[in-house]
Amino acid sequence: MADTVAHPGASTELEGDRGARHVSVAIGASARSVPPERLRAKRRADRKRRLTVLVLLSPWIIGFLVFTLYPILNSFYWSFTVKRYGSPARWVGLANYELLFTNDDLLTALGNTAYLAIFGMPVRIGIALLAAALLVRKRRGNGVYRTMFYVPSIVPAVASGALFFFLLKEGGPLSGLFGLFGADAPLWFRDPQWAKPALIMVTTWALGDLMLILLAGLVDIPRSLYEAAELDGAGRWAKFRHVTLPMISPVIFFIVLTGLIGVLQSFDQAYVFSQGVREGRLTGEPGGSLLTYAMLQLRLFQDGRIGFASAMAWVMFLITFVITMVMLATRRKWVHTATEEWA
Amino acid sequence: MSRSRRILGVVGQHSVLIGLAIIFALPFFFMLLQSVTPIEEAKTSVLWPSTFDFGNYGEVFDRVPLARYIRNTLLVCTLVVTGTIVSCVPVAYAFSHMRWRGRGVVFVLVLSTMMLPFQVLFVSQYEIFSNLGWLNTVLPLVVPSFFANAFSIFLLRQFFLTLPTETIDAARADGASEFQILTRIVVPLAKPGIMAVAIFQFLFAWSDFFGPNIYLSDEANLTLAVGLVRLNTAAARLGESNLTMAASVIFVMPLVVIFFFAQKIFIEGVTLTGTKG
Repeated sequence: MADTVAHPGASTELEGDRGARHVSVAIGASARSVPPERLRAKRRADRKRRLTVLVLLSPWIIGFLVFTLYPILNSFYWSFTVKRYGSPARWVGLANYELLFTNDDLLTALGNTAYLAIFGMPVRIGIALLAAALLVRKRRGNGVYRTMFYVPSIVPAVASGALFFFLLKEGGPLSGLFGLFGADAPLWFRDPQWAKPALIMVTTWALGDLMLILLAGLVDIPRSLYEAAELDGAGRWAKFRHVTLPMISPVIFFIVLTGLIGVLQSFDQAYVFSQGVREGRLTGEPGGSLLTYAMLQLRLFQDGRIGFASAMAWVMFLITFVITMVMLATRRKWVHTATEEWA
Repeated sequence: MSRSRRILGVVGQHSVLIGLAIIFALPFFFMLLQSVTPIEEAKTSVLWPSTFDFGNYGEVFDRVPLARYIRNTLLVCTLVVTGTIVSCVPVAYAFSHMRWRGRGVVFVLVLSTMMLPFQVLFVSQYEIFSNLGWLNTVLPLVVPSFFANAFSIFLLRQFFLTLPTETIDAARADGASEFQILTRIVVPLAKPGIMAVAIFQFLFAWSDFFGPNIYLSDEANLTLAVGLVRLNTAAARLGESNLTMAASVIFVMPLVVIFFFAQKIFIEGVTLTGTKG
């Protein structure tokens, strides 16, 4: 962010960024000799402008108070209570949190989430990086490939879920392909061992966003670095390892961070795969192998256990917060920072 | 590097690209194929149908109130896009072309709300909408969009910052009010950026499942996303995946069409969110 936080003494004209500098030169020259009536007019103008800013910001301010701040505080309070909709909350202290951590479902959901992150993300990022690296040099036909890799990511998650549910079901086209190789098709949606790989498969199909972001990062790498590496006798792999990877590491860092937050909230495809609700409960079948954090919380919510669901939301929030902070604090370890030093 | 080795390298790269492209296109191919597979063959899982039965598309409309779903979805999308643009453009303007004390701090606050998991919000939001008597209407899905969201504010601000400050400063010196500058200069100049935000919001509202799934219950009020999931569950028991796939095609096709018409805007938008964050 380029914004400079204004220090209290500065006149409003001198604050801010972009273009402020040449404006301030003109004002700075005349500021010393401003007569008092002009100052009063200026103060009036300042007040008017503050009011304008407030009016412009009002949609966000109201939305923030009503749809963000109030719900957060509310759910924080509820997380210490037993509460059902339409009836008052009863304070129970930390009971919800204690119950949560002795609950097998939570561990199952967390375990599944971790599985999806540990095995899913490297696959997605690896293939996205491969595709981006092949498309970075300007060549005929690249536009077509780029489009083909990107389009799956605009398919809504429930549609790609339904699609892969069909592709992978017994007798589905992909099972047919397995059959061609003489292998037995796994029972993707019955065998707990295969349910999560199926989930990873769908999300990998939709890696278009990652590819575009990586592609933009690769385009920004100066050609001269590669030329210098070539002069040093670097081969294709060495160039990738010592030029591409370090230079792209800030982008990968960003993808991993947002990806982790995304996995914690993953919901739609798992919901479709596990056939959603059975007897009024979210199942996360087979064998709970698809039960994610978000699904579990919705189950608690649908059971009317509002206090419990709120406690879980707060645990989720804390996990997200800790992951973000730990990653940002250790950023220098993961990310090559030479570009920032040059800048 | 010798000439032949270089050719080999190019051939190798192209084969990987072609291989990947086939893998990425294959699900679409099977989706289209299954959507025209006759019902008896859909149940027996034949890979290639004997005839193409386009009647499946009509059958889906008979089986579920698909026309209603489409109408509801379009209503939600239109209102969400309108609300987002109307509310976020002024906010983004205040964060890009006006200077005021505390702007940096408030902007960080806006961005930090993007990090909040929606789980923290929806349990309590549900109560608000329930108390207002808005359950089973589109209101919980569209009203919040009239109160600005951080992602769109951020994206619009990035676009607004690329506009020439000189023009805006000149207009201000000529005595134009901030509202005049916003409506007569910034909005016309930033049309591509506003379009990008509109498209993203449309896509989001069209695809959203979580919100409609908890707020809508009556069959006649459902959106396409929820309708598709219910159809999928029902059709899976009956082995009628051809109907699910026909409905999926209807659900996905508009997005693909929008993508092809607005490819450039799309790609710039995605790139902007990823690299300038």
